[in-house]
Amino acid sequence: MDFPRILSGNWEVPDSHTLAVARACGTYTRVEMALKKPPAELIQIVKDSGLRGRGGAGFPTGMKWSFVPGPEKRGNKPVYLLCNADESEPGTFKDRYCMWKDPHLMIEGMIIAAHAIGCKVGYIYIRGEFRYIYDRLWEAVHEARAAGLLGRNILGTGVDFELHVHLGAGAYICGEETALISSLEGEKGQPKLKPPFPAVEGAWRCPTIVNNVETLAAVPWIIENGAAAYKAIGTEKSPGTKLFSCSGHIRRPGVYEIPLGYPMKDLLEIECGGLLPGRTLKAVIPGGSSVPVMTPAEVYACNMDYESIQTVAGSYLGSGGFIVMDDTTDLVDALTNLLRFYAHESCGQCTPCREGCGWMYHILCRVRDNCATAADLVTLKDLADNIHSKTICFFGASAAMPVQSFLLKFKGEFLARIEAASMGIPAGAIIANPEQRVGHPVAPSVAGA
Amino acid sequence: MPKVKINDIEVDVPAGTNMIEAAATAGVEIPHYCYHPNLSIAGNCRMCLVDIVGGRAPEIACNMVAREGLAIRTDTPNVKKMRQSVMEFLLVNHPLDCPICDQSGECRLQDYYMDHGDYDSRGVEEKVSKQKRQDIGDKIVLDAERCVQCSRCVRFGDEVTGTGDLRLMNRSDHTEIGMFPGERLTHHYQGNLADICPVGALTNKDFRFQRRVWYLRETASVCNGCATGCNVQVCHQEGEVFRYLPRRNDAVNKSWMCDHGRDLVPGIAGLERVLRSRVDGCSVDTEAALGALTTRLKSAKSVGVVLGSQATNEANWALLQLVRKNLPGARLYAATGNDPGSVEYADTLLVDADKNPNNAGLALLASLDGRVGSTAELGSALGSLDLLVVLEDDVIGRLKGHGRPAALAYFGVSKNATSAAADVLIPVCHTVEMDGSYVNRQGRVQRIRRAVNAAGDAVPAWLVLERLGGKLGHAPGTGMVAAAFNAMAKAVPAMKGMDFKALGDAGLQLATDVPEVAAPDVPASPGATA
Repeated sequence: MDFPRILSGNWEVPDSHTLAVARACGTYTRVEMALKKPPAELIQIVKDSGLRGRGGAGFPTGMKWSFVPGPEKRGNKPVYLLCNADESEPGTFKDRYCMWKDPHLMIEGMIIAAHAIGCKVGYIYIRGEFRYIYDRLWEAVHEARAAGLLGRNILGTGVDFELHVHLGAGAYICGEETALISSLEGEKGQPKLKPPFPAVEGAWRCPTIVNNVETLAAVPWIIENGAAAYKAIGTEKSPGTKLFSCSGHIRRPGVYEIPLGYPMKDLLEIECGGLLPGRTLKAVIPGGSSVPVMTPAEVYACNMDYESIQTVAGSYLGSGGFIVMDDTTDLVDALTNLLRFYAHESCGQCTPCREGCGWMYHILCRVRDNCATAADLVTLKDLADNIHSKTICFFGASAAMPVQSFLLKFKGEFLARIEAASMGIPAGAIIANPEQRVGHPVAPSVAGA
Repeated sequence: MPKVKINDIEVDVPAGTNMIEAAATAGVEIPHYCYHPNLSIAGNCRMCLVDIVGGRAPEIACNMVAREGLAIRTDTPNVKKMRQSVMEFLLVNHPLDCPICDQSGECRLQDYYMDHGDYDSRGVEEKVSKQKRQDIGDKIVLDAERCVQCSRCVRFGDEVTGTGDLRLMNRSDHTEIGMFPGERLTHHYQGNLADICPVGALTNKDFRFQRRVWYLRETASVCNGCATGCNVQVCHQEGEVFRYLPRRNDAVNKSWMCDHGRDLVPGIAGLERVLRSRVDGCSVDTEAALGALTTRLKSAKSVGVVLGSQATNEANWALLQLVRKNLPGARLYAATGNDPGSVEYADTLLVDADKNPNNAGLALLASLDGRVGSTAELGSALGSLDLLVVLEDDVIGRLKGHGRPAALAYFGVSKNATSAAADVLIPVCHTVEMDGSYVNRQGRVQRIRRAVNAAGDAVPAWLVLERLGGKLGHAPGTGMVAAAFNAMAKAVPAMKGMDFKALGDAGLQLATDVPEVAAPDVPASPGATA
C-alpha cells in the first residue's frame, strides 16, 4: 500500500548512507530552519505533533524534552542528548535499518533535538553487536562534521553540537535508559533508581534526554511539515508512522513503515504477505518479545496503535517487533527460548528478577523436557506475578509478561504437554497436532490451579 | 518537618528522612538488606517494598523520602506476599549451610525467613553454585554462594574507604561478589565488611568459628585504641571478650571501626597483662603493695606524679585529688605524645596518630592545675626524682635515655618498659573491665562500661587510688565512679552541667573546644646519637 514514508523513504536509494546522496534526498534541509527557531518553539512543535517514543514505552517525546530544567535551574551543568541505538529486543530490528540505510536522517534529528533541549554534546549509544553499523555511523558523523553540520557554529547559526558514537558491550539491559547511562559512564550496565529521572539528573549527573533512533529520525519531517501534518497521519492518540519489524512464519519478513492505527490483520496479510502455504495462525507477539502474546482472534480485532493493542489484547505496541507464530510452533519451546534470553540478560541487580528469571527458565526447561508437573505451572505463574513491577526497571515485567500471557492464553498447550509426559508420550509427538491438545481433559485440581 | 503515616501511626520526621527510618520512629520495622543508614541507597534487594495509600504500585521505602501527607502501609496482604516472595527468591539459590555458617544467629536471611518468609519450599531446581571460602584479605573470607548481592560491601569500598575493591561480577543469577584477579583487600577497615554483610558471605577470620553469636552478650563501650574513641559493642561470654563490633554513632564513627581496634581484643586476656602486684620483685597482694607505696610516698623528698592519657577521666581525677590532698610537694606531669610509627598508620577516616584514648580528657584536667609539667619537663626531671608515681603510661619506654628516678611506682594494665622497671607495681583494669569515661579527639565525653570481670588482681584505677588516698590520710572521694565523674564535671568548666548517667550511649560534647594537647612527641633523648 502507499503510505507516507517518513522514516524509510530513502532506504531504497543506492548509497543512501552517504552524505551526498542523503543531501540529494533532502536530508539536512531542515537543520537551518530548525536552528533559527527558538528551542521552546521546537519543543512545542514536537509536543503538538503527538510524537511518542518509539523505543517501546511510547512516552510523548515533546513532553520528555520539556522536563529538562532551564539554565536558571541547572546552573552551568551541560545537557546531554543520548540516542538509544542499543536495539536488542528479540524480534526488533528496525533501528539497525534506520542506521544502516539512512544514518544522516537520525543525525539531522539529533541536531534539531539538541538545539531544542540546549545540548552541546550528544552520544549515539549503539549495541555492541552492531559493530558494522558503528563504523558506518562514525563515517556519517565525520562527513557531517566536515560539511559543517556538526561541531562549532553549525551552518553559521551560532549553534554548537558535537556528536560521538559509543559502542556498547552487548547487553540487552543497556537499552534501558538509566542502564545505558551507567554503561556510557563506564560503569556496569545496570539501571539506576528513579527518581531522579535522567531529564533532571542523568549522564554524569547532568540533565540528559535519551531518545530512540526512530524517534529522532521522525523529528526532521515534523519540523519541515509541521505538527498538524504529522498528526493527520495515524490515530488521534497515536499519530504518525511507525516501523514494524516483522518476522516469523510469514512470506515476506522485513521492516515496514505503516501509519499507526493500521489493522493488524492487514499488516499480516498484505505487507507480510500472509502465512506460509497451508499454515494457520497460532499466536502473535505484537511489540517485541517482552509484551504479552496475542491469540488469532485478538490479532484480527486489533489495530497497530498503542491504545488498540492494549484494550483489545492487553498487550503493548512496544518497539514494534511483530513476531508471527503459526501452527507448527510449539509454544512451550517458544516460551522456554524467550526465558532463556531473559535468564541470561537480567542485570542481576534486583532480587526478584535476578533469581526469578533463571528459576522460571529452569521450570520451563523441565516442562519442555517432560519432567514437570501441573504444580510447576502454578509456581511459574506465581513467580511471574512476584517479579512483575517489583523491580527497579521494566526488565522484570518484560520477563514476566510473556510467561503470564502464554499461561493465560495458551495454558491448554502447557497442560497437554505435562499430561502427555505423564502418560509417557515422547515430546516429538506433541508438536504434530497441537490443536487436539488445546483443552485436553486434565485433572480438576490442575485445571483450577 | 513533614508528617507521614505508617499503618495509621502518624509521625513527624525531619525533612529528607527515608521511610525506613520514618517507620522505625513509628515503631514499625521495615525489613531490608541493601539499605544501610551510612551508605548510599541501592534499592536492589526489594525487601522494603511497601504499599502507598492511594498509590498505584508498591514502592521501596528506602528510596522514598518523607513528604507531607505521605501514607504507607506495611501490614497489607500484598506487602506480606511481596516480602515472602523476596525471601523465596533470595533463598532459592542460597546453599542453606547454616549449620556450618558463622553468620548463624545474626543472619538476616534466618531472621527474615522466620518473620516474613515461612513458606513451603518450592525450590526443586539445581542451585547455582559459586566459589566458596575465598581468601580475599587479611581479615575476610568470602563465600559467594551465601551472598544476596545487596552490594553493601561494594558501596563501602566505593564510598567509605574509597578503595573500590569489591565488585559485582556477571549477570542474572550468576551475579557474584568478587575481587579483581590477583588482588586482595588492603585497607584496614576490613572488619566492617563482615559487619555490614547481612548474611554469611563475608565473615571475619578472627571471629570465625570462635563462638556462636547467640551465646554472646553485648556491652556498649568505647574503643581504647586511639583518640578517635569509636563506639563499640563489646561481645563477650563468661568473662571472655570475643570481638568488638562498631556501634553506630554518627557524631563519631558512623557505623565503622578500624581493624587495629578489633585487634586489641586478644590483648584483653593476653599474656602481656599485669596480673599481680609486685614490690621490689616480690609478688604481693594489692593491699600490701599499697602499704609499701604509702610508706615510700611519705618518706620521699621529691615526688613526681604522672597522669595518664590512657587512663579514664575518673582515674586521672582521683590521682589529681590524691596529690592535692596528700602530697602538696609532689610535682604533676602529663605524659603525652605519639608512639613511633603511629603517624604513618593514621588516616583521615578514623585511625588517629594518637593511640591514647583519653588525651583530650587528660589535657582538660591538666589545664585545671597550672603546675602540670609537660613530657619534656618530665624528661629532664626524671633523674632527680626520689619517687615517680605513674598512672597507665609507659613513661620509661617513652623517655628512653633520660635517666631513672630513684624509685618507681606504676599503676599499669599491660607489661612494658615501665612495668618492668617498677619497684611497686599495681595492676589496674582494662577498658572493658570497668566503668568510666574518655574524652575523644573531638571533645566528646563518652562512657566505657564494664563488660567482663577484671583479670587477675586488677582493680579500677579510680578505686585503687581511693584506697591509696585513704592510707595516706585523705581519700580523693572517688570510690564510686559516678560520684567521681560528677565531682570532676563540677570542677571542669568545659564539662559544666554534665552528669555521668546523662552521658548515655552516645556521649556528650564538651562545652568548649578541646584544649591543645601538648604537642609533639618524645623529646630528643640526650643520649641519642644521629
